[in-house]
Amino acid sequence: MLIPVSIGVIALSVAWLLLSAVFALRGKLINDALLALTVLTEIGLIVLAVLSAKNFRGIDPSSEGATFLAYALSLPVVPIFATLLAIREKTRWAMGVMVVAAFTVAVMTSRIAQIWNLYGRA
Amino acid sequence: MAAPEPTRTAPVVDGAAPPTGAGPGRLIVALYAVLALAATGRSVLQIMEYFDRAPVAYLLSAVAALIYIVATFALATSRRALATGAISIELAGVLVVGLASYVVPDAFPDKTVWSHFGSGYGYVPLILPIVGLWWLRRGTHPR
Repeated sequence: MLIPVSIGVIALSVAWLLLSAVFALRGKLINDALLALTVLTEIGLIVLAVLSAKNFRGIDPSSEGATFLAYALSLPVVPIFATLLAIREKTRWAMGVMVVAAFTVAVMTSRIAQIWNLYGRA
Repeated sequence: MAAPEPTRTAPVVDGAAPPTGAGPGRLIVALYAVLALAATGRSVLQIMEYFDRAPVAYLLSAVAALIYIVATFALATSRRALATGAISIELAGVLVVGLASYVVPDAFPDKTVWSHFGSGYGYVPLILPIVGLWWLRRGTHPR
């Protein structure tokens, strides 16, 4: 389950990144579509955090279990803070923050999936 | 250090230097927040789970995480002196640890935020303090 959920989250965060980038270039602020994408990503990240916490002990103890769990548990914070900042900041830099957040989610989720692929036991 | 400021820790008010956490500053604050988040959780769990593997590296990670938290807070609340201090330490840290990880690789068996000049984090830990210091300097001059 962990890999399919990771792939789903990465796909959502890439869509979130692209839409934020378009908004940044056009000088648009957050709207319902962008908010919906961050909410969907957030739901995926919560599922991923729960799955990771459940499977954490299945990671080879000599590898990077700490990174795996730390990333999975801290990622759900990212969309929430990014959205709050994007609502407060009324310039195009708000969308810059969204791009950074979406990129962070994509990269850290890829790392979680990579560690699970290399060292995890289902 | 420059001349002492009378309101050293108070947030800057209107008429003084512009806030460090608005406009493009939001982006810098966001980048610092991301590094603080990634480094903190990771180093806490590394220390809890397998501290013996690389005590020096993990302690350095924890220190780095703490500095990122301070820098994020200082930039978000326009505490310029604190931000300059934290970011300067950060720049020194990434340079020293980055160099040390090449000279004495045995001390850094695991990647940390600062080892190899932050290559594990896309060199963001090397570039960000330079951008951060530039941003702080730029903000003190009239635009």
